[in-house]
Order: sequence, then C-alpha cells, then structure tokens
Amino acid sequence: MKRKFALLMALIMVCSVLFAACAKSDPAATTDAPQSDLEYIKEKGTLVVGITDFAPMDYKEGDQWIGFDADMAKAFAASLGVNVEFVEIDWDNKVMELDGKSIDCVWNGMTLTPEVTAAMECTNAYCNNAQVVIVNKDVAAQYQTVDACKALNFAVEAGSAGEAEATAAGFRVTPVKDQASALMEVASGNSDAAVIDSLMAAAMVGEGTGYENLTYTVGLNSEEYGVGFRKGSDAAAALNEFMKAAYADGSLQATAEKYKVQAALIAQQ
Amino acid sequence: MSLIMEQMPIVLHALNIGFLQTLKLFLVTLLGAIPLGLIISLGSMTKFKPLQLLSRFVVWVVRGTPLMIQLLIIYYFPGLVLHNPIWGGGEDGRFLAASIAFIINYACYFSEIYRGGIQGIPIGQDEAGLVLGMTRSQIFFKVKLLQMVKRIVPPMSNEIITLIKDTSLARIIALQELIWAGQAFLKGSNGISGAIWPMFFTAIYYLVFTGVLTFLLGKLEKKLDYFR
Amino acid sequence: MSILKVENLEKHFGSTQVLKDISFDMDEGQALAIIGSSGSGKTTLLRCLNFLETPSAGRIYVRDEKIFDSADMGSQREKDIRKKRLHFGMVFQNFNLFPQYTALENVMLAGQLLAKERDDFKQNKKQIFADLETEARALLEKMNLTERADHYPHQLSGGQQQRVAIARALALHPDILCFDEPTSALDPELTGEVLKVIRELAEQNMTMVIVTHEMAFARDVADQILFMDGGLIVEQGDAADVINNPKTERLQAFLSRLSDT
Repeated sequence: MKRKFALLMALIMVCSVLFAACAKSDPAATTDAPQSDLEYIKEKGTLVVGITDFAPMDYKEGDQWIGFDADMAKAFAASLGVNVEFVEIDWDNKVMELDGKSIDCVWNGMTLTPEVTAAMECTNAYCNNAQVVIVNKDVAAQYQTVDACKALNFAVEAGSAGEAEATAAGFRVTPVKDQASALMEVASGNSDAAVIDSLMAAAMVGEGTGYENLTYTVGLNSEEYGVGFRKGSDAAAALNEFMKAAYADGSLQATAEKYKVQAALIAQQ
Repeated sequence: MSLIMEQMPIVLHALNIGFLQTLKLFLVTLLGAIPLGLIISLGSMTKFKPLQLLSRFVVWVVRGTPLMIQLLIIYYFPGLVLHNPIWGGGEDGRFLAASIAFIINYACYFSEIYRGGIQGIPIGQDEAGLVLGMTRSQIFFKVKLLQMVKRIVPPMSNEIITLIKDTSLARIIALQELIWAGQAFLKGSNGISGAIWPMFFTAIYYLVFTGVLTFLLGKLEKKLDYFR
Repeated sequence: MSILKVENLEKHFGSTQVLKDISFDMDEGQALAIIGSSGSGKTTLLRCLNFLETPSAGRIYVRDEKIFDSADMGSQREKDIRKKRLHFGMVFQNFNLFPQYTALENVMLAGQLLAKERDDFKQNKKQIFADLETEARALLEKMNLTERADHYPHQLSGGQQQRVAIARALALHPDILCFDEPTSALDPELTGEVLKVIRELAEQNMTMVIVTHEMAFARDVADQILFMDGGLIVEQGDAADVINNPKTERLQAFLSRLSDT
C-alpha cells in the first residue's frame, strides 16, 4: 500500500511539473511585456492575419489570398520585414483567436462597432460601408423606406453591425449565425428580409448568384472598416503610420481601384 | 439548373479538399482512439484504486461535456490562459488540436464499449485458461481479445458512423472540413458567391461515406460470425 | 506414496466458512468421487486444488511435494502457481471451451503456448507443433470425436463439447484430472456418452477427482467417496461401502432425497 501511495505521489508530481513547464515555456508572454507586441511579431518573423473568405477584401485566387485587405496586409508585412500568413477563422471566435495568439490581427472588412473597439486595439477607419436591407425582388417596390420595412421580419447576423442598425431602426429581428445564413433565411422564406453589408450585398445578390431573386433596397446608417490587433498592441499605431504613407504615395488608392472599392476609401492623413 | 452545372466543377474541387480534411480527421481519430480507449478501459478496470478512479473521472468529464467545448478548450486554452499558443494559427496546428480533442473524446466512448465487451465475457474463459497454465496476458490476447472484438463490433460501428458526422464540429476552431467548404460558397468563394446548394450537397458525401463504412463493418461482423 | 494429500484445508469467504478442516489422501490410479448437496463445499474444494481459490489454511501435497502451505504464502506468486496448476487438469460444468477455436485448436492451444517456453522451441518449432497435433488428434479419437476435430464449439452438442474439454485437459498430461459436475449442464440423453468416457479413463487408471450428483456412477467408477456437508467431510471410504451402508444420518438423508427424485 505504501508503495502504491508513493507511486501515486510521483505521478502527481510529474504531472504538475509538466503543467508548470508548459505554462512557463514562454516567459516573455507571461510577464507584462518587456517585449511589445510589434517586437513579438517581428521576432517570430510572421504576421498571422485572421480572415474569412470575403470578396473583395480577402478571397482566394488559386492558392493565393488576394483582395484589397489581403494585398495591403502583404505590403504591411513586407514593410515590417516579416512573412505574412493568412488563416481562415470562425468569425465568432475572432477575439479568442487574437488573445490566444493564434492570429496577430483581424483584417477582413471588419466594421468598427463599439464591441469591436472595446475588445481589440483598432486602427483608424480606412473604408466606408453601409448596411442595406435585402428583400425579395417581387416585393422590393413596397419596401423602399425604413417605415415600410417595419412590417417585415428580419434575419441578421448575431452581434453584427447589421443587427445593431436594424434594432435601432425598430425592426423585428431574429439573430442568425452569419450574414450568409441571414440571406438564406430570406431566400427560403423563413424571414422576410435581412440586413447585411453593402459590399457583401453587391457581391452576393442579384443576377448570376444563387440569390438572383433577392435585391437590396433601403440603406441604413453608414459605418467604417478597420483592422483589429490584440488589446494594447503597438502594432495598430504602426499600421496607422503605414497606411498614411501608402495614402501619401498613392499605393493605397491604386490597390483600392484594383478591387473597385475606391469610392468607399477613407483618406489617411 | 445550368448555373449549377457551370459551378459544379469548382464546387466539387473545393468539396473534395474539404472532404479530404474530414477523412484525415476521421482516420487519425480512429487510429489514436482505438488503442487509447483500450488503455483507458484497462485503467478503469484495474484493482489499483487511484488509477481506476482517475480513469473513471476522465471518462465522466469527457463524456459529460460537449465535444464542441472540448475543441474550444484544447485549441484556445494554451494561448488564452497559459500565454503559450502551442498550436499556432495555421491549418496544421488546428488539425492537430482537433485530432487530440477527437482522440480523447472518442477514446473515452470506446473505453466504455471495451469495458462492456471485456466484462461480458464469462469468467469461465479466464478460469479455463488459468487451469491450462496460461499467463494473464496469454488469456487476454489468445482467448478473450477476439471474443471481445466480436462483442464490440456492433456498438463500435455505431460510434464510428457517428464520428464521421461529428468531424463537422471541428469547424468551430476553423478546421476547414467538408461542411466548411460547402458553407464557404454561401458568402462567396472561388469566384462563386451566394450559392446555397453546395452546403446541402455535402450531405451526399457523408451519405456515400457512411454507406461504404456500413458495408465494410457489416462484412467484418459477418466475418466474425464463424463462432458464437 | 500418495499422489495427493490434503491436510487441514480451510476456506473462508468473508465471515462464512465454506471448508472446515478438510483432510484426505489418495493413491495413484484411484478415482475419488466427492458427493454432497449444493453448498456443501465440494466445488470449492475442487477449485482450491486448481488454485482458482486460495485456501485460508492448510497444506496440499502432490507426490509428497508441498505445493501449497498457508504458512508460506511467499511461494504463492503468479508464476509459481501457474506451474503448480499443471499437476491438475480441470473439466468444468459449463465446458468453458474457447468459442473461436475448433475442437482440435482447443485441445492444442495450451500445449502450443507452453512449448514456447522450451529452450529448443525456435529450432524445432515445426516438429513440436506436428507432435502436438498428432497427440491432439489421438486424444479426440479416444473421445470418439475424430469427425468433429474441425468443428467449432457452437456446432457441437453439449456432450461432444464436454468430451472436447476432457481431451483439452488430458493434453497437458496432468497428474490428477478434476471434474466439476461434468454432466450437470447436459440434457439427460447426453450424460451417458460423457460418463462412458470417464469410466474408460478410470479403467486406464487415470487418477481422478470427480464432483458429481450421479450416485450410481460414483459407486461404479470411484474407488473412494467423500461425502461433504456444511463444509465438512462427513463420511469417507470405499465407494460401494459408503453408498450402500451409510453410517451417518446426514448421508442417509442425502441419499434418500436423491432416490426420491
């Protein structure tokens, strides 16, 4: 019995040592940063960008991620002298991904809502966007004003800017998983209407898409896109400087034109 | 309809890539969970009390919590709490984390099936082996193992079929498996946006895959029919 | 020299004592029948001989070699017990054949596993296995099962299964073969073929300990009978004598109960 007890104690000790080793193996991260976040990124040599497949901001052409956001991210990484890696994430988990350091920033046409700016270190806004109401083509003529839309049942992405705008406008809303699901709600007739990003709406509804019977009508309040880093990160400021320089030399505008978002671009000064 | 035919090659290509990831996770889970389950089941049956309690505790925790939470904990816990993002952000790290979560989860379910299989074998088989001068390990490997396998094939088949479908949970940590690949076309991917049908089309992949496995497992069950 | 000697054997399960001061001995070539009602301790006694139960007290000798002594439990390690068990063969009430092996494989399996411990196993593997198979087939023939060698247990009748189990026990050349109610699980019309085989073994002077309910069989086949009741040996002696002239009331009651049914 004594021997068994000793064995158990030994086992417990080994486990706790392993656990401690696991926890301590990155001392720089545990103590409050003698190393800044920018230094951390430079030291590991890769900027990991969290994205979703979202044309025209981040999307795939062959094996390559391109788009307005993707191209600017590549240029920013190059200016830091590090590699860039794009990682598709579950949008709901973006803050956890950042804090867990599996990604370094979220750069994916992210609307700067109060929730986002509270949870992340955000850059200055670089792009305008609006939230639009999506309805069936056949009935679009009846719902050209906010007041008319109040008769409809809305599907919106949970926690999105669209949900905030729809609620503020006094619509009856049902939150769903993402913007795509919101569209499917309308297409399947489960909901009468949805509120999504205008950039996304342009790409997803109408002729040549799976939602050719849908269209967008009323535009709600406009909003702005920004890039999010870990809370307290100095990399956000570095990106602001980079964007100013890119605007000054015209490369930001050129990239925007390439992806046809130049009209929404916000001047960086 | 013609639009779907146009999109078909692109969609199939993307779904195949997603399915490969599903298949990989499925195989790695089986490969890891089948032996690990045996170790856990032996642990939960040992006479050494602390090990027995530990095994049963682990099984209780793992079976008592949703796999989705386990995936989130295993992937995010090291980075969020220990400040040591051991998995990294890339696809390989996510796959590894998902594999570990699935292996642990399924090993615990398998261990209970094994335990039932082992404990269901009459004590007379042990005694017959003992009086014939066999060692405990000879009795296990030469006498009881195959009888246990025969007993566990039907419940294991159920779990294995469930596993195929459970792999889709891994997309909570952004593992790009089959349903992820199908859902991507809802928003837009590979130049196709707002396509609903690819997501529903993934069901065909699952159906065919479970069909093949049901057939193979049925054959195995038949093969063991030569004794009772 | 006695082949088996049991001295002052006791067995407790928790607070219940199922064997009380059991002592007896038997000579080589003898058949000993143990009779008694269920719960009398006779099966436990048999299981103690085979080390399936560890006696609480007492000693067991085989050919004057002490193989169990409750005063010296240090010698009762798994490895030693395994060898000592081989003095005894055991035939169970429920046969306990290995279902995934044919009759022939059931008979050969233990021999094959033991052969692996021989020094010359690697060089002579083929020859050793061939010899084992020849011997196993001969044993099955002796049991009138030549035709059934390649059948699986579930394809055999209860009587056939029990005869395979007897062949399996004989294959290891035990000094003493034990039977634990070998016909109790059989349909009445199948008991005859099993009893016949045991009778033949007795005629060939196989040393046997048989726990049985078949009184006529015990009287005809056994040389010696032990009557057990309440964990005690109540009567023991020459087989015909014990059954024909029971001295104690308990044995008389037991025998009359049997003849009633």
